[in-house]
Amino acid sequence: MTLAFTVPPPNSSFLGRLDPRWKLAALVCFAAVAATLHTLRVAAVALAAALLLALLARLPPRWFLQRLGTAALFFLLFVLPLPWLLDGNGPSWTWGPLHLSGRGIESALLLTAKAITLVTLFLIAQATAPLEATLKAAHALRIPALLVQLGLLSYRYVFVFSEELRRLRIALRVRGYRNRARWHSYRTAGHLAGTLLVRGCERAERVAQAMRCRGFDGQFRALNTFATHPVDVVAFVLITASAAALAVWDWLPRLLG
Amino acid sequence: MIAVSADLAIQVRDLTFAYPDGASALVGVSFDVLAGESVGLVGPNGAGKTSLFLCLAGVLKPRTTLFQVGGLDPRDPAQRRRLPTQVGIVFQNSDDQIFSATVFDDVAFGPLNLELPADEVRKRVAEALERVGLTGMEQRVPFHLSGGEKRRVALAGVLAMRPSILLLDEPSMYLDPRGRRELIQLLHTLGGTRMIASHDLELILQTCDRVLLLDRGQLMADGPARTVLADATLMEAHGLEVPYSLRGNSIA
Repeated sequence: MTLAFTVPPPNSSFLGRLDPRWKLAALVCFAAVAATLHTLRVAAVALAAALLLALLARLPPRWFLQRLGTAALFFLLFVLPLPWLLDGNGPSWTWGPLHLSGRGIESALLLTAKAITLVTLFLIAQATAPLEATLKAAHALRIPALLVQLGLLSYRYVFVFSEELRRLRIALRVRGYRNRARWHSYRTAGHLAGTLLVRGCERAERVAQAMRCRGFDGQFRALNTFATHPVDVVAFVLITASAAALAVWDWLPRLLG
Repeated sequence: MIAVSADLAIQVRDLTFAYPDGASALVGVSFDVLAGESVGLVGPNGAGKTSLFLCLAGVLKPRTTLFQVGGLDPRDPAQRRRLPTQVGIVFQNSDDQIFSATVFDDVAFGPLNLELPADEVRKRVAEALERVGLTGMEQRVPFHLSGGEKRRVALAGVLAMRPSILLLDEPSMYLDPRGRRELIQLLHTLGGTRMIASHDLELILQTCDRVLLLDRGQLMADGPARTVLADATLMEAHGLEVPYSLRGNSIA
């Protein structure tokens, strides 16, 4: 179970060697632009650029595709009905009660391209630096310390809770429990969630006590070893310039038209 | 009026603490601990051992007539904030105490909170990890550590604060025999004042000269470890047993 949360060890790829602050800033800029694109052609180019970055980052293909597939399960739920539900100008096809619209297909493809781009960028950030380095970089980029701390603590304790959940599930199984679609199963799942929640609250209390005992006063402090090199600046400029070019390509026809 | 002595690392008089639900955790507890002394704290479950440690560390706020820990009064908010430099507490469950993403970050957490310069923080982390035998594991992530390693990281995180008083709550819990043996050896190398709360009475015998026995929040006995722990009547009356290594003495 805990393997689901693990990231591959940071590799020595071009992106893996970049200063996390510059890399994160560039990826966030690119993601912000990708999220606001309106035309399918530009979104497809943004997706191609993100996949090129993924190649440069040397993401393990299996790890990348598994996570992309999991994310796709969620966003396809919203995207797949669009061609059947969204109507508008352009071609459309009707088979009996089913109505398929060209605009719906285009919107679905646009959303899919944008979602895959964003997930790819997120996975690049995750795989090319340890999470704590990325979160410290976020702190250095003036992301509120509270969010950074929440991220770090969540990542630390997701493993502890998944272990707790695993133990609880074993405890259920050894007492003959099997997950079936019936009232008893729903009640048990509710009790399991409640137990995890209560244990989580108790643990949070103890962690807070342990933090206070080591002088924690609410401020996030970290030792950074970040150092800017010319290559970091060049990579940042290249990625953000590409994002800016995509934004201009996407918006200019609208502004002129 | 009882005078505060420089030789006393801890002075507690009539310490009483009740949880918000009204449950009494500690009732009129009084004791002193000399600087450099190693004191065991024993008692059945729910006796108040952890609550007493949390009071000494300034986490819980008890009522007392005299309270001095490492030269500081935990009742005073300004002095309570300075307590982490004097008192280090190692909790029962290391997962509660190791909250950072890497071993280095966790050990550096306390020194960073003291706002020490970066070089001093790195020096303290290196020293603390060396003392617990974990040099070279700085970038390891906590969920990849064994129980014994987690305990050592928790101890290193406390040692990096260089406290004069160390409170260890059930230090041998979750450890296998080898991890327990290594912990006992490690405890022998640590100087300073120590209090160890444990059900592992053999560990108490091997690491402490003096024992306090708590039951239902009250101090029931205070004396040399070998005398208190060998008293079969006293031990049985408070839900404990004479440790195996003292059973011969007890019969004799």
